[in-house]
Amino acid sequence: MGSRASTLLREEEIEEIKKETGFSHSQITRLYSRFTSLDKGENGTLSREDFQRIPELAINPLGDRIINAFFPEGEDQVNFRGFMRTLAHFRPIEDNEKNKNASTNEPLNSRTNKLLFAFRLYDLDRDDKISRDELLQVLRMMVGVNISDEQLGSIADRTIQEADTNGDNSISFNEFIKVLEKVDVEQKMSIRFLH
Amino acid sequence: MPRKIDQSTLDEVGIEVDGDLSDSDDGGAQKRPNRRQAGGRGAARGRGRGKKPASEDEDEDEEDEDDAPRRRRGANNKKPTKKRGGGDDEDESEDDAPKRKRGGAANKKRGGKAQDSDDEDSGNEKGKKGRKGGGKKGGKEEEDSKGKKGDAKGKDKGKDKDDDKDKDKKKKKKKGDSSSDSNSNSDEEEESMSEGEMAQLMEEVEEKKKLIAIIRNKPWRMKRRLVLLREAQQFVDKFEGALGKGKGRKWYAYKVMMTKKWIKFQRDFENFRTACIPWERKIKEVESHFGSSVASYFIFLRWMYGMNLVLFGFTFGLVVIPEVLMGLPYGSIPRKTVPRPEQPTAQDYSVLMDFNGYCKYSVLFYGYYNDQRTIGLLKFRLPLSYLMVGIGTFGYSLMVVIRTMAKNADVGGGDGEEGEFTFAWKMFTSWDYLIGNAETADNKYASITTSFKESIVDEQENQKDENIHLRRFLRVLANFLITCSLGGSGYLIYFVVKRSQEFATRDDLSWYEKNELEIIMSLLGLVCPPLFETIAELEDYHPRIALKWQLGRIFALFLGNLYTFLFALFDEVNTKLLEEEGIKNASIWALKEYYANYSMMMNDSEATPPPMDPSDVIRGPCWETAVGIEFVKLTVSDIQVTYLTILIGDFARAVIVRFLNYCWCWDLEAGFPSYGEFDISGNVLGLVFNQGMIWMGAFFAPGLVGINVLRLLSSMYYQCWAVMATNVPHERVFKASKSNNFYMGLLLLILFLSLLPVVYTIMTLPPSFDCGPFSGKTKMFDVIMETIDLDLPAFMGTLFSYAANPGLIIPAVLLMVLAIYYLNSVSEAYQNSNMELKKKMQMARDEEKNRRNNTDSTNQVMKDLEDLLPNRSLAPPAPPEPEKKPEPEAKPTKTKPGAAGKGVNLQKDVALATPNPNARGPVRQPPGPRGPGPGPGPGQGRGRGRGPPPR
Repeated sequence: MGSRASTLLREEEIEEIKKETGFSHSQITRLYSRFTSLDKGENGTLSREDFQRIPELAINPLGDRIINAFFPEGEDQVNFRGFMRTLAHFRPIEDNEKNKNASTNEPLNSRTNKLLFAFRLYDLDRDDKISRDELLQVLRMMVGVNISDEQLGSIADRTIQEADTNGDNSISFNEFIKVLEKVDVEQKMSIRFLH
Repeated sequence: MPRKIDQSTLDEVGIEVDGDLSDSDDGGAQKRPNRRQAGGRGAARGRGRGKKPASEDEDEDEEDEDDAPRRRRGANNKKPTKKRGGGDDEDESEDDAPKRKRGGAANKKRGGKAQDSDDEDSGNEKGKKGRKGGGKKGGKEEEDSKGKKGDAKGKDKGKDKDDDKDKDKKKKKKKGDSSSDSNSNSDEEEESMSEGEMAQLMEEVEEKKKLIAIIRNKPWRMKRRLVLLREAQQFVDKFEGALGKGKGRKWYAYKVMMTKKWIKFQRDFENFRTACIPWERKIKEVESHFGSSVASYFIFLRWMYGMNLVLFGFTFGLVVIPEVLMGLPYGSIPRKTVPRPEQPTAQDYSVLMDFNGYCKYSVLFYGYYNDQRTIGLLKFRLPLSYLMVGIGTFGYSLMVVIRTMAKNADVGGGDGEEGEFTFAWKMFTSWDYLIGNAETADNKYASITTSFKESIVDEQENQKDENIHLRRFLRVLANFLITCSLGGSGYLIYFVVKRSQEFATRDDLSWYEKNELEIIMSLLGLVCPPLFETIAELEDYHPRIALKWQLGRIFALFLGNLYTFLFALFDEVNTKLLEEEGIKNASIWALKEYYANYSMMMNDSEATPPPMDPSDVIRGPCWETAVGIEFVKLTVSDIQVTYLTILIGDFARAVIVRFLNYCWCWDLEAGFPSYGEFDISGNVLGLVFNQGMIWMGAFFAPGLVGINVLRLLSSMYYQCWAVMATNVPHERVFKASKSNNFYMGLLLLILFLSLLPVVYTIMTLPPSFDCGPFSGKTKMFDVIMETIDLDLPAFMGTLFSYAANPGLIIPAVLLMVLAIYYLNSVSEAYQNSNMELKKKMQMARDEEKNRRNNTDSTNQVMKDLEDLLPNRSLAPPAPPEPEKKPEPEAKPTKTKPGAAGKGVNLQKDVALATPNPNARGPVRQPPGPRGPGPGPGPGQGRGRGRGPPPR
């Protein structure tokens, strides 16, 4: 598969992706073959339907949101570069990278960027704030009809109340970071890509 | 995986050499130093690697080639460059090149080298010599070449000199870059080897090597030098292998592989262990649908099963099996034979179901066992073993229960962290993104829902702060009512028992009078629990606490049950004892007569047993077996009742509700009958009391433990099925406390209560004279005395007699009491300090939050000011901001200043929040309720919601 990728993928592209995302060469070729296997249309880009064929995403209540995260605003196709850029959020943080972070600009897989990715899942209207309505929508996706609307409302209220520190009745990214301060995001939002 | 990494590291090294070599062949020598300087370690490497054609890279990746050919190639490539002239060959990357070349060219040398690297001292010396030699030969740098020794380990020839010089320079450069940050995390690096990591590691190895080289010249003390030297040497040994050179490579590869394998194995093993926990899946499934409270019952059931399994192992392994294998067979002696008058009906189903007939004279019951001191070839002391198992059952149970309680108490203290962002965490982190199976996903949905519900209930509880006086009054009232009804039922039981004793002497009894006791008892059991539950509504406790109260109250009621049962039993035993006395005397007399006649007739003093069929022998009532049968019957009927209740009360009801609903006047599912809820308290108490029966009865009926194990096993499956199929979750799903300690406490109590009668019988009542392992002794525990006298050396006997001396026992008891007192006070002190620490932590957290909030809010205020400056006056929005903040903090501690007393906090905070955010809040809030579909819900809902929660 590596050879196949190497025939389809130009060296410069690989180099650029490598620079941008930090994946290794073999990881990129491996992921490229995954990309092509997902790509049922054989046109070098993935559509939403392609993603929805992945069972984990299909049954995930937030699956749509995750799929959305792959697509730049207003587009419904994603090419390999974009695909890799999104996946790079989930690259584990390596020890030596921690030291480097200070000097170079932040890589895609830093804690902040991982959190930002998660934040965007909830921030439906992309106004950098999670409002009560957005929480309600997500909640409804997560628990379905099993909890009455009034209770859902109070859950959303409570959530905001817990997290909201500046009293604007919504959760900003900074507040979001604070809430998840103690969660081991680096570890939880990491996928061990094959080397 | 580990393999692959390793290969890739090897490849990378090789690749880099190739890449650089090709560069140098191209004559692009000047480019390289620049590159080195500009890019960091990793970047340079990556680029260097990227330079070379991809196809080659691919080939190498895939072919898994071993390094031998490459080295050869490297050596071949190198040779020309070397030939080209030592002076201008400025190959930096090639610290390994010389070695490689030498590896290819001069293998003998290599062996020598390897030895060197092993042995530090000799290595140093050799290196020095080599260097000196080199220095003489080359006549060039003396100081610079010190560095080279580390790399080349004293084997370098004159032709390498120039390389070394450059190398040193490069190293210095690199060192300047990296040494500052590289030392810290050197040790954890072996796990995964990316390129950057490789480069870093390489540098470190370089550094260490250099250190080894120049350590002689450092102005340090010898000791320090030695320590450092050893460390450096170890480091080099360890990591040199990672870089694909040195003799440590294979070993390193092997080690990395093994580490990874080991980690994987550990993970698999952990998974395996989890998979081995019986019924974990079932219980999790139940938990996800019904909440942790229902699951706690099943966990308790599983725990009981485990304990009973051990008891079963003891009883069967040490008593039943030996008796079956080595004891006398059925029919050999009277106690093992069905008496002749009973024989015709002994196999009838009804008789067997009453555990008479063949059942009664089987290994299941006490009476079957023989009093032979030892049985079989192994001289197994069955009577002793029987007694020991009887006592050991209690000992083991006590130990296990107490140990579990202690362990659970440990767990309980762990979760002090909770409660800060409960909802937010549930909201943002509850979904498991690795779930790929639809069924699992369903369960996860259910469990998320359930956990939200649990949190809601907890929150509501925290926020309840209405009229405290009314609540107190109601609670006192409820307790008063319940005490009254408990007292009433207690008196009723007492009264009925007394009457039944009266009735026992009469013959002309109506059906009711005969069964009065049972009827009253079951009526009480039927009426009281729901009554208690109704009264408990008054108290308005959190359901978790309410469950505990309910359990305690029903427990008290059931104690009456137990009392009557024991009362009747001891009555029976006493009559049996009297009857037995008569028979015993009669049969002894008969035997005497027989022997007298026999010896008179045969003139033979040898006692030959009378020629009688064992089934014809007159025998006593054997009260132990009677008691055992009583307990077995009780257990079996309990099983039947429980299962039938589930079948009718839950299953039939569910079926009716489900299918009659299509043709019924009102909505059965939502209306009156509805589906059943799982009765936690009833089931737990049933389990606890059943276990009490087992403990009491196990001594008299060893088979009872086996029956109980079967019961628990089947009940696990049956109830799991029943609860999933026929029940609906509780209206208020609540979170069970993490420890099952309340259940355990009940169990301990019942264990103690059941211990008493058994110990009493063992210590005081005389065993039957013609059945059971202790027949012929005056007391059951005489078997211990006998063993001490006959089997142990004499001094042990005296030792025991001393130990039994009251003068020794009383101080021992005192000592134990003191120890208990001491431990108790210590644990209290710990608890206090624990609480103190918790408080401090909470305070620190609050303080931090406050500070954060304040800064935030001031910032916010500033922002608001800026925003508002053109529009309105600044005064109103600013002040409320800081005041509002402390409110959320106050809530967790439950002390609500709450001027608006009746408001559920939720709403209060939200309501408070609305006026503050000057522009956005008020605007957004109203549309929330009105605008989208769900909106109206919350709005009204909260209004309505306040009604239900205090319920």
